[in-house]
Amino acid sequence: MNWTGAVRTMLVCAILIVLHYTLRPLLAWRASIDFLIVALLLGSVRLRPGAAAVYGFLLGLVADSIAVSPFGAAALAMSIVGFGASWLKAVFFADNLALNGFFLFLAKWIFDLIFLIVGHRAVDPELAMQIFVWSPLAAAVTAVAGVIALSLLKPLMEVRTA
Amino acid sequence: MATAARYGSRVDAGLLVGCVVLSLIAVVLKDEDREPVASALRRSIVAPLVGLQRGAERWRSAWVASEQRQLASDSVAIRAIKEQALQVENEQLRKIVGLGSRLEWGFIPAEAVHSAAPSEDVVTNMTLTAGSVAGVQRYNPVVAPEGLVGVVQTADPTMSVAILYTSPDFRASAMSADAGAFGIVYPHTGRGSAAYMLELRGVSTRVQLKPGTQVYTSGLGGTFPRGIAIGSVVSELKTTEPWTRTYLLRPAVSPSRVTTVLVLTAQRVTQGTGNVWGGAVNADSATRRIVAANDSIARQAALIEAQARRAALDSVRRATIDSVRRSLGAVVTPVTPESTTVRAPAAASTTPRTPVQRRDTTRARRDSTRPDTTRKSPT
Repeated sequence: MNWTGAVRTMLVCAILIVLHYTLRPLLAWRASIDFLIVALLLGSVRLRPGAAAVYGFLLGLVADSIAVSPFGAAALAMSIVGFGASWLKAVFFADNLALNGFFLFLAKWIFDLIFLIVGHRAVDPELAMQIFVWSPLAAAVTAVAGVIALSLLKPLMEVRTA
Repeated sequence: MATAARYGSRVDAGLLVGCVVLSLIAVVLKDEDREPVASALRRSIVAPLVGLQRGAERWRSAWVASEQRQLASDSVAIRAIKEQALQVENEQLRKIVGLGSRLEWGFIPAEAVHSAAPSEDVVTNMTLTAGSVAGVQRYNPVVAPEGLVGVVQTADPTMSVAILYTSPDFRASAMSADAGAFGIVYPHTGRGSAAYMLELRGVSTRVQLKPGTQVYTSGLGGTFPRGIAIGSVVSELKTTEPWTRTYLLRPAVSPSRVTTVLVLTAQRVTQGTGNVWGGAVNADSATRRIVAANDSIARQAALIEAQARRAALDSVRRATIDSVRRSLGAVVTPVTPESTTVRAPAAASTTPRTPVQRRDTTRARRDSTRPDTTRKSPT
């Protein structure tokens, strides 16, 4: 990835991170859009798996420091998701929006699974409800929003590396 | 090349393991140990994002508060509208109760359900929630506190259908408030608001009704009893009929506002309703009575004045006759009012009377103060 591509990717990730902390609180949906996951995947597929894990770790730390959630849970989940996204970058770079959407859905759901299990934030019935109802819903919403965001930001990201 | 790739994979795995280990350490840290780290992050790198999130949450809370205020004001407005509707309904029910108490008997209360077809511009009929079981019959008049609404067209056991005065089939024999003009009320053929107006046709040309004149049912025809308010005269309509006049009437009842009505029974129609709607009739009749009373008082006054004048003339005449007779030496006969009022000079002339010499006739009367009598006494 050349410098131009890196700068563009950083810009798009910054936009997504800003959206996460502005649009998400404004909408305040029960199953909310996770723009951090979109930003994580977008950056991870352009990095090596190790670097993607570090990127995810840093993003997770940012999320943990602002949220009330147990500190470190998001960092752990994003490290794993970032590493996996970088490892499966061939899938994410397919020119198929549905596949990209499914990839986003899967990433968000895995993130929630790790985050909820590690965080122990809920008792068992609520945890099951969160994992099997709200997390898939949030993952679906994130996937749709991610696909739309990728489509809108495509002109900024024409330089792609395989 | 393969070594480099293997080295790279090991580095990646090492980084992942390092991140995972660090994350797990952060997770297992106690609150007092991890809070400084989180706080330091919030104050330094993450500070702009915290500011953004705070601003967004502030916007969100302001939006929610505004929405709640809007909801609150909407609910207040809805309550006010409901209260207004309740007041109107209460007013109508009070009027219906008042009408029922004035009628006392011979009516069936019913709720009116408007049943205008979508293709109809004008509401011409309404469904009533009382039927033949309650005593409703065909051609029973339907009335409201303001006046005539229509007439029952069909009466089912539990409900009935009434045609309104807007129906083309509606007719009512009508009269003016002073019963000086009679005619037949028809629905006015017009569009928009004019479609709810009425026409009073067949009024004699010698009678001219002023705008605002109240029109009531005349009781002729037997369908409607006398005295139900129909409306008031708006203006005269120009027609081709030379011998009759036609007037445009504004109905007393607005069909859209009618929610509760009274159906007058046939017996009540036969026996009449009296002056239940007759505020104007009463006023007119009272005016006529006052005028008539004034006339009679004037007549009485004139009579009394004439009588007084006649009495004065009679007394003058009596005094003159008395003095003349005394001056001629005739016998002064007391003159009774009857003799003064009834002229009897002829009778007096026909019956000759012999003058009777009396002692007191030659003397002046002591009780008289008239100068002519005192002067002529020593003869």
